[in-house]
Amino acid sequence: MPSDPTYLGTVEDVRGATLSVVLSEETVSGLTFIDGSGYRIGQVGSFVRIPLGLVDLFGVVSQVGAGAVPERLAETEPFGRRWMTVQLVGEGRRFGKFQRGLSQYPTVSDPVHLVTEQDLEKIYGRPDEPQAIAIGQVASSESIPALVDLDKLITRHSAVVGTTGAGKSTTVAGLLSTLTDPQRFPSARVIILDMHGEYASALRDRATVFRVNPDPTRGEQQLNVPYWAMTSDELMPITFGALGDTERGAVLEEITKRKREALAYLDNPPITVDQVNADSPVPFSIHKLWFELHCLVNATHTAQQAAQRLETMAFEESPPSTPIQPGDAMTVVPPRFRSIQQGQVWLSQYPLRISRPLEGLASRLRDTRLDFLFRPGPWLPAVSGETSQDLDTLLAGWLGGAMPVTILDLSGVPSSIVNPLVGTVLRIIYEAMFWARYLSEGGRERPLLIVLEEAHAYLGQEAQGPAGAAVRRIAKEGRKYGIGAMLVSQRPSEIDTTILSQCGTMIAMRLANSSDRLHVAGAVSEHLQGLLDMLPILRTGEAIIVGEAVHLPVRALINPPASNRRPDSADPVVFQTVGPGGWNRSQEAQNYEDVVTVWRRQNPRSPRQAKMQDE
Amino acid sequence: MDWFETPESGSILRFRYETETLTLEIEFRNGNVYQYFDVPEPVYQAFCQAGSKGQFFSQSIRGAFRYARC
Repeated sequence: MPSDPTYLGTVEDVRGATLSVVLSEETVSGLTFIDGSGYRIGQVGSFVRIPLGLVDLFGVVSQVGAGAVPERLAETEPFGRRWMTVQLVGEGRRFGKFQRGLSQYPTVSDPVHLVTEQDLEKIYGRPDEPQAIAIGQVASSESIPALVDLDKLITRHSAVVGTTGAGKSTTVAGLLSTLTDPQRFPSARVIILDMHGEYASALRDRATVFRVNPDPTRGEQQLNVPYWAMTSDELMPITFGALGDTERGAVLEEITKRKREALAYLDNPPITVDQVNADSPVPFSIHKLWFELHCLVNATHTAQQAAQRLETMAFEESPPSTPIQPGDAMTVVPPRFRSIQQGQVWLSQYPLRISRPLEGLASRLRDTRLDFLFRPGPWLPAVSGETSQDLDTLLAGWLGGAMPVTILDLSGVPSSIVNPLVGTVLRIIYEAMFWARYLSEGGRERPLLIVLEEAHAYLGQEAQGPAGAAVRRIAKEGRKYGIGAMLVSQRPSEIDTTILSQCGTMIAMRLANSSDRLHVAGAVSEHLQGLLDMLPILRTGEAIIVGEAVHLPVRALINPPASNRRPDSADPVVFQTVGPGGWNRSQEAQNYEDVVTVWRRQNPRSPRQAKMQDE
Repeated sequence: MDWFETPESGSILRFRYETETLTLEIEFRNGNVYQYFDVPEPVYQAFCQAGSKGQFFSQSIRGAFRYARC
């Protein structure tokens, strides 16, 4: 037996799936050669094989050295023999395929062997599973591809976690470029909620970009999220703010009434008017709603309470019977009413106290930063509630574009409304996939992967708000309707645990923070924790993949995208060797006028740069 | 506008020039693409002729013209 170069030692102790192995005297060198390639003995995280008749058991080395000596022996032979702790993970029939779980245990003095590249191929290879895709190489043996199960990766959700600079966005870009390979997956469908506008450059030949401030010369499109597609829970916080129960009920009543009136303009209305409520995705004019409520609350009337009508409103007039300012709904201009000091007029007797919320609404409607919401281009309803485009064109843009990837770049969105906005976008997508589950556009026939970049920004612990609700719904029920989520975050401990625990596959990159590591470790079964001890020392671009999409936890180097297809988040280089910039170069002429220009335009691309893109 | 590959250069991968806007676009081997604005045609011609593109770049283009990253 010792003549076999793969021989390591013998099993001395079996405790459940944990083995203590004593290394043989022959394996002193720490290095052995098999078929011409060198293998280091006793590497933490490497595999060992224990042949038992026709079956090979496989285990992972979790501890080597004095600490692995069983307690009873520690005193008698502190350094005498070399021990190793191994966690059993699965078995493979000789010449057959590897599977997780054990049908039998090894016993004392069974031989333990090193795992060679051929064995590794057996462990990681999946020759008869066409849905397995290679996303990189096994880190310990770079000739072996790291395979993941595409079905499970997408539909059972996944999370990519790692510290800043561990290569998260590059990894995600690499993953996505594998997943959207036009040859293999011509119908791939991916939506990225991109908080920092990083992915447009990495996926420029595969993606349609929607931005709040689009740069048409780069082929970007305007991001529009029509406010009327929001549910009342999403709409109220960013329009009226917090209202009392009575006021809220009355406002929702008004919205419902308007939505029902606008049904006449829809090509594909619901079957009955009664199906429409304040949450229905039916257009109504919020500008008109504001205008009318404003008049009801603030107008003065030429008649007393009981006789007050719209016609009795007392505008300030000059010359007589010509209102100075009759007001305008669409431009959010309030009308001027005659003051009661001039006499002959009475205050409006509207019972609701909503004048403050109405002022807030008016200022939000005038805020041009929110135009993508309140003036959503062709989806802007006229005062009648008629729009020139319906939701179908919106969905076609997001879900059915010519490109496999849609990037919703949220970098220009005011942070106070990111949460409701993300919630709305995800809910619109979810509803579309949910109701279309029997159609070819639906998620069951053409599954959708939603990448949630910087997920901790809107999915904090006990994630409140529409974003948390929408993601939780996708995490819990998305699988049934073909919606998969991929969370990307540097702070897994800040993400709501119910959402994180729904992620079937965890792609963990370097993580230094111990509370973050605990969070990841919680998602992995007990006896493989040893592998995760490596998290703080992973190389950049290296990841431990655990969960449903892999048979076994695998430490892999993810295929990075081509160097000119990297996300924009690549680290600034202080010491520059190639190209301009860097501290080690003589200073360039500075012109902060250009800085102000790009800032004011809210577009990081220099206006001069756009010229060349025209060609 | 066609790209000119520069396999002989250690730092520059390829470049192209637009006469109408006097814009010189350079892609470096690390994947970064920069546009230099208002580069006169003679300078561009000299750049094309230069034996060592990287050296000409750091002597006559870098620091002399305004640029922006693409």
